[in-house]
Amino acid sequence: MSDEQAVIETEKLTRDFDDTRAVDGLTLSIETGTLFGLVGPDGAGKTTTLRLLAGLLDITAGSAAVAGFDLARDPEAVKARIGYMAQRFSLYGELTVTENLSFFADLYDVPRSELAERRERLLDFAGLSPFRTRPAEKLSGGMKKKLALACTLIHEPPILLLDEPTTGVDPVSRREFWDILTELYLEGTTIVVSTPYMDEADRCSRVGLMYEGRMIVSDTPQRIRDSVEGDLIEVQTDDWEAARDAAVDFPGVLEVQTYGETLHLLVDSAEERLSQVRDRLEDEGIPHRSLRRSAPRMEEAFISLVRELERDGARPTQERR
Amino acid sequence: MSIRHLRAVFRKEVLHIFRDRSTFILVLLTPISLLFIMAYALTVDIQQVPVAVLDRDESRLSRRFVHQLTVGEELDLHARVDSLGEIDALLRRGRIKAGLIIRPPFERQLITADGAPLQILIDGTEPESGAFAMDQIARRADAFVGQVLAQEAGLGMTLDGLSSPIQYHVTALYNPALKPRVDMVPGLISLVLGFPALSVALTLAHEREHGTLEQVMVTPVSRAELLIGKMLPYLAVGMVNVVVIPLIALITFDIPFNGSFSLFFLLSIAFLFAMLSMGTLVGVFMRTQPAALALSFLVIFFPGFFMTGIFFPLASMPAEVRLEAMFLPGTHYAVIARSVFLRAAGLAQLWPQSLALLGLGTLFVSVAAFSFRKKLG
Repeated sequence: MSDEQAVIETEKLTRDFDDTRAVDGLTLSIETGTLFGLVGPDGAGKTTTLRLLAGLLDITAGSAAVAGFDLARDPEAVKARIGYMAQRFSLYGELTVTENLSFFADLYDVPRSELAERRERLLDFAGLSPFRTRPAEKLSGGMKKKLALACTLIHEPPILLLDEPTTGVDPVSRREFWDILTELYLEGTTIVVSTPYMDEADRCSRVGLMYEGRMIVSDTPQRIRDSVEGDLIEVQTDDWEAARDAAVDFPGVLEVQTYGETLHLLVDSAEERLSQVRDRLEDEGIPHRSLRRSAPRMEEAFISLVRELERDGARPTQERR
Repeated sequence: MSIRHLRAVFRKEVLHIFRDRSTFILVLLTPISLLFIMAYALTVDIQQVPVAVLDRDESRLSRRFVHQLTVGEELDLHARVDSLGEIDALLRRGRIKAGLIIRPPFERQLITADGAPLQILIDGTEPESGAFAMDQIARRADAFVGQVLAQEAGLGMTLDGLSSPIQYHVTALYNPALKPRVDMVPGLISLVLGFPALSVALTLAHEREHGTLEQVMVTPVSRAELLIGKMLPYLAVGMVNVVVIPLIALITFDIPFNGSFSLFFLLSIAFLFAMLSMGTLVGVFMRTQPAALALSFLVIFFPGFFMTGIFFPLASMPAEVRLEAMFLPGTHYAVIARSVFLRAAGLAQLWPQSLALLGLGTLFVSVAAFSFRKKLG
């Protein structure tokens, strides 16, 4: 398989639950060795997409192929080649760390001669070596996630599907988890990871934004950030509520986002508007501590795209590139 | 079928049974304690059984006899009545368990050893108390007669070798058969041995609820490997109960065991297999543990109780129920347990039931395996 070849390909992939269309005509192509971040608001269809790719759900319409095998026709062939990690912690709580690893090694037919060595390497890799005899249910939240990842990796799958692996995990464990993912990525593993955290999306090589079951954008983080029209002005003020209410009417302000006591004003052009915003705030008698231009981050791009969609109501018919 | 997959699932499930306290209790301890509770509930020492007496003879001896009845704790003379209608009413309302009717010429016939008539009416809905009351009355009557013969007639004779001068006319109302406990315990065994079926149903639902099944579904394990691997540990645990529970029944309840134990053991395994298949089938369809529990009771335990002929004879049921009962492993096993325990029956008599158990087990587990899909939703 050459590096350019798509290892995950979907064509108008659709899945209905009763009356709801969870995934709606998703067409997607992920190349080998990509670290693909799946983002989108809750209910956008991220989990359904990952479960479809893992062969856990029947496809309503369209098609999908993973590792060259059609998911509808040969889901078991796909299962042997992927590692899937569910959003909820789902290992056996009464089993110890090593027992869980051995269980999955057996189910994945990991060669016995390699089992001990692989297990040790993964324990080491995940920082779980000191806890090998501890029951899984007695591990901390972060360690549980790492054990789940280790179990997912025991058969060395070329493709990883991870559903919000870091949700509910402390920031240090989150960072450690992503260091592991980055290492796997550098080793050439194809990873699809859904996440609610935009800083994590920034660490991916490609990001897909899902909205109402569709892929709205699929691009590199850099290009997605750049796609945000306008610039960002960051305002720090003692009276952020007044500033927020006033800023909506400022000329050239496209959108106002609040981050605690910091306001992010999305404007058509920072050069042009920076001094105007300063003047207007002074006119309104709103004191500000700092006012500076900053680059739009993934977060602003995401919010701005979602707001745009919610405003339009209509679903775009084409992927934006 | 990969032995490695099967063994992995088996080992995991065994560890689960022994490490998860509630599963351990449910699987190993519940059947034993349940047998005790149910068997004792059916056989507790009965005391102060209320009886009523209708004395038509009104003689010296009949009055002494009635007095004799109330000595001791066993019987409670609830009422002396004047008509048969009153006894009937008291029995119907459940106020008394037995009614004793002394007809003339009780005194005269007793003295002449001419077969004095005693009529006893028993509430057959509670055969245990009714039979107990009858037994008590008869015993006292025999003792009384001994005294009377010695004193009144001055013959100094004992009853040995003579037929009792009292003629009993016993009528058990509502349940003429008066099934005794000896018959009940093998039936109870079949009921409590079914418990691992509940565990299998629950463990599948438990894995669904906790999301562990989702993680297993993405592995290449096959449906049959998963289901059989999960059933086998419960079969093993059930086999422990197959040995322990009859032993307890023999020792504690003084039940005869006339048949071959190895045959009983083998056929019990066939029964366990059928029950576990049924539990697996329930577990495959139910998403949550409460649902699995409810359905288990609905399709495994209630019918097991009411429709397998353990407590209520199948012959008395409508044809549709009898047909349905043929699909319950308990129906066949109740026959096996009773026949082996009490009648020393062998495979020559029991082959239809044995085949039925194997057939049902195969049917249920096949339907379960075909219905179970490695998919969510």
